[in-house]
Amino acid sequence: MNAPVSPDALRRQPTDWKGDAMRKRIASRYASERRFRRIGLAAILMSAGFLAYLMISMLSGGLGGFTRTEIAVRVDFPKAPIVIDPASLRGEGAEAVLSSVNWQALTDQAATSALGKDGAWIAPGAWLVVRDAVKADPAILQKSVTLHLPASAELDVAAKSEGQPAAEAAYARLEKAGLTSRAINWDFLTSSDGTDPTQVGIWGAFKGSLLTMAVTLLLSFPVGVLAALYLEEYAPRNRWTDMIEVSINNLAAVPSIIFGLLGLAVFLNVLHLPRSAALVGGLTLALMTMPVIVIAGRNAIKAVPPSIRDAALGIGASPIQVVFHHVLPLALPGIMTGTIIGMARALGETAPLLMIGMRAFIASPPGGITDPATVLPVQIFLWSDEVSKGFVEKTSAAIIVLLLFLLSMNSIAIYLRNKFERRW
Amino acid sequence: MSQPTPPKMSARNVNVYYGEKQAIQNVSIDVDTDNVTAFIGPSGCGKSTFLRTLNRMNDTVASARVEGEITLDGENIYSSGMDVVQLRARVGMVFQKPNPFPKSIYDNIAYGPRIHGLASAKADLDVIVESSLRRAGLWDEVKDRLKDSGTALSGGQQQRLCIGRAIAVEPEVILMDEPCSALDPIATAKIEELIHELRGRYAIVIVTHNMQQAARVSQRTAFFHLGTLVEYGSTSEIFTNPREDRTKDYITGRYG
Amino acid sequence: MNGVAIITLILGLGLIAWLSARAKAMRLAPAASQTGDRSRKRPLLHSLPSYHGWYAALWVLGPALVFLAIWANVMPGLVTGRVLQDPAAAALPMDAMSRSAILSEARNIAQGNAQAAFDPRANALIEPYRSANRFYSLGGALAALMLALAGGAFAFTRIRPDFRARTKVERVVMSALLLASLIAIVTTVGIVGSLLWESLRFFSMVSPLDFLFGLKWSPQSAAMGYGNENAFGAVPLFWGTIFIGAIIAMFVAIPLGLMSAIYLTQYAKPAARAWLKPMLEVLAGVPTVVYGYFAALTIAPNMRDFAAWIGIHNASSESALAAGLVMGVMIIPFVSSMADDSINSVPQSMRDGSLAMGATTSETIRQVLIPAALPGVVGGVLLAVSRAIGETMIVVMAAGLAANLTLNPFASVTTVTTQIVQLLTGDQEFDSAKTLAAFALGLVLFVVTLLLNIVALQVVKRYREAYE
Repeated sequence: MNAPVSPDALRRQPTDWKGDAMRKRIASRYASERRFRRIGLAAILMSAGFLAYLMISMLSGGLGGFTRTEIAVRVDFPKAPIVIDPASLRGEGAEAVLSSVNWQALTDQAATSALGKDGAWIAPGAWLVVRDAVKADPAILQKSVTLHLPASAELDVAAKSEGQPAAEAAYARLEKAGLTSRAINWDFLTSSDGTDPTQVGIWGAFKGSLLTMAVTLLLSFPVGVLAALYLEEYAPRNRWTDMIEVSINNLAAVPSIIFGLLGLAVFLNVLHLPRSAALVGGLTLALMTMPVIVIAGRNAIKAVPPSIRDAALGIGASPIQVVFHHVLPLALPGIMTGTIIGMARALGETAPLLMIGMRAFIASPPGGITDPATVLPVQIFLWSDEVSKGFVEKTSAAIIVLLLFLLSMNSIAIYLRNKFERRW
Repeated sequence: MSQPTPPKMSARNVNVYYGEKQAIQNVSIDVDTDNVTAFIGPSGCGKSTFLRTLNRMNDTVASARVEGEITLDGENIYSSGMDVVQLRARVGMVFQKPNPFPKSIYDNIAYGPRIHGLASAKADLDVIVESSLRRAGLWDEVKDRLKDSGTALSGGQQQRLCIGRAIAVEPEVILMDEPCSALDPIATAKIEELIHELRGRYAIVIVTHNMQQAARVSQRTAFFHLGTLVEYGSTSEIFTNPREDRTKDYITGRYG
Repeated sequence: MNGVAIITLILGLGLIAWLSARAKAMRLAPAASQTGDRSRKRPLLHSLPSYHGWYAALWVLGPALVFLAIWANVMPGLVTGRVLQDPAAAALPMDAMSRSAILSEARNIAQGNAQAAFDPRANALIEPYRSANRFYSLGGALAALMLALAGGAFAFTRIRPDFRARTKVERVVMSALLLASLIAIVTTVGIVGSLLWESLRFFSMVSPLDFLFGLKWSPQSAAMGYGNENAFGAVPLFWGTIFIGAIIAMFVAIPLGLMSAIYLTQYAKPAARAWLKPMLEVLAGVPTVVYGYFAALTIAPNMRDFAAWIGIHNASSESALAAGLVMGVMIIPFVSSMADDSINSVPQSMRDGSLAMGATTSETIRQVLIPAALPGVVGGVLLAVSRAIGETMIVVMAAGLAANLTLNPFASVTTVTTQIVQLLTGDQEFDSAKTLAAFALGLVLFVVTLLLNIVALQVVKRYREAYE
């Protein structure tokens, strides 16, 4: 050994572990250990607390958006200024007869006669309820019935929270008279965007989201899976392959708004595809989602052990048969998980869709992928900009719907991952 | 072999479980400072597991459970009064694969003294680093590059650095878990020489696969098989005249 | 004949080709009892019958669908050409603008996209458009059908026992795979190309130096005709982006994300981890528009009140702080999962080595694990920064539009992404400097995030290699 015997200077006394100084030191080290641990716990609890705060504020602000305040109004049809033969509503041409009536005037008059000046607090769209009631049962035209008409946005706000003084006073009067009630606002789930908060709904935006997602899925899933298969199973190691890999990895990290600029410059300005349409939105989001699917797909394919490939090749399967008969089915759960996560991200995406004009005011649900449409997140963004206080709870309600969808998609992905995750 | 002093560490009826599975069954053994103790046995026999119970490294495995009594200077190390931090400073450990921290050579050695507050001044620390490196037989090789990363050394040097790191806190016992299995023969020879020199100052327990190594470095040998201690005695006796057939079969290479 | 019908028809033909080619190949195949009998004239099939089916189907579908795709792009030109031959077209004005306006109006009516013409001169052209449309679409459909049949016939003649149908089909499948992976390159080229092209047009109007180093941003003044000088200085935007995304957000995200990762990997019991990790994933899955709404509606007013409470009275309700804080929370899961990965890839032996020296867990984490994992953590933070500066909705909804160069977190600043959205909102002509500036900003954003990503991935990669 090259080291000489240690000189006396280097000789050391055994440590006195029982001494006071050492005991104190160890106690303080344990204290710092506990402190550190608590800081870690605090950090994660802060994240959890923020999430809880966000969820609770959305729920408390948004659940009201699924209900509406209604005012009981006695409508005396025989005295109303309309003449309809109930029989004419039972056959052909009922629609024509119905659309010929000035329901708005009828409703306003009935409200005024029943409620006095408080009749002004019914919603602008309240006549739809009257019309639908007549349509459902023409017999009521010969009698006087009580209908529950939706209250205006101002009164609704006053009923649910703090509103303008006039509305508060009116609500107090109506409530005292026992005329107000709360009901589920089905219109919120079945109608589209509008100008009055009592009439808006998410169906139009929701359908737009569905169409957009359909386009995205149809394009990005096959392309993503095929590209993943190629890169993982067949690609030769050369410059081209490297370029493809670098492109995919970078595309996965490119800010989403850049995809919007691409969509605007290429799909709208060069290819002249229709503006604001689910087709363009879907194409743009597909470009964004594809790298996610490719990366998830490659990881899933990589996880299939080589022994399976060797076994199949060994009994004379061609490389294509090996992949499509053996590797792909085994990798599919992993690919599905990645796809669902990618789709959930696309479903929540807003910025690129603003770029391609999906922020337009669209009051009817889109009929197809080339019709102007909007999507749920963009609808949320648009409503959040509205001044009317009635839109606040509609925005939160739409957020609840969006979050429900995203959470269930993510849960499905987690479930799939846990169920099919195989350890080879 | 006579034992003038009481044993440094002794284990009585130790059982170790990983979850439901029992890894160590009823092992009792004494370890003292004058002798190097070797644990031998086929892989999976529990010798490493048992070694890790001696400084409570099994605590880091959530499912591990230890029964029985292990004492250090007569004090039960699994009692609530025993402090793990202190215990591990007193019972050092060297691992199978050299694991220097990604810090400088100096900081690697100084790590233990710093966290335990063994040096009050920089000069004290310098002394500790030098003496530890000298005792680890590494000083002459690295004295001019103490600021270099510990991971830049060769495998054998790294392992001696790890031994130096363990020595730096002046432990009473050093546990070595197959310290040479990742090293070439020349580096192995240096480590074995080092173990010779450290004997008497520290109680040394070495787990090894290699029976020649056990014969070369140790004075006492314990043979483990399937989680039980089959035979424990002086090394020369175990290798020349084992009492148990299983020991004989193992050291003559029937299985292993 | 409309497009859907003809495509359905061709797909149907493809199915027929698949079935019949497969059946033909099966007839060629020797019966099972005869396979061993080499004296018979029928040799073994090289490929399974279904491959012969695929071969025929590909020949039916491929040429016909490719033709249709080309035809759909060529047809409008041909139709317009034929309409212009029509005597009614002679009455069109020579001026190119109104000429094309009238033509497109007539086309829209003919295709049923519009109800009535704004310009009465279009009415005369509706009928020629209709007939030209009918003529060419029928012609195209017939040609596509002919191609499908011809392809099928060709494929059918080639079905012989020794025909290597599988090899041919597999070659097609392989090209499809290659094509799919090339789309990534095409997209990248599309992004770079479109951003560069539009940016070059912008820089022909505004000097790049003014853009990159100018201190005054007021595109509105340029749009109102005060000239492009001093209107497109993007420094306040860059500062706002860095202030919110790289400073305030990171002040929240790095400590919280890192400590969360440490707690999850080193301290949490498996049962707690099983709950806390998905919780972080939920935080990562909340759409940015929701964060933005939350920041604008809940956090921003609180921040303003807080500022007033500590004595800052000119606080904006669209403060950098509100946007940055919420963005930081959004980034927490990202930082945490990157840190989680880096800490987990530090070999267990490091941790054991430190614990065996008598270090406490926190000493091990602070003095061994974190230094060892640092390159990975730094790489993760760079990726997080790149994500934060590219984030749009939070800043659009919660940060302001005022391009201020300020260090006051309670003041309003604007960011690159906010301005991109702002510039492209509403109906502007596509050639104005104001609109094109959005693409120049996009280019800067793209280049910066790309560089950050490349550097971060390099750092992480080298770090991974160090421990392998």
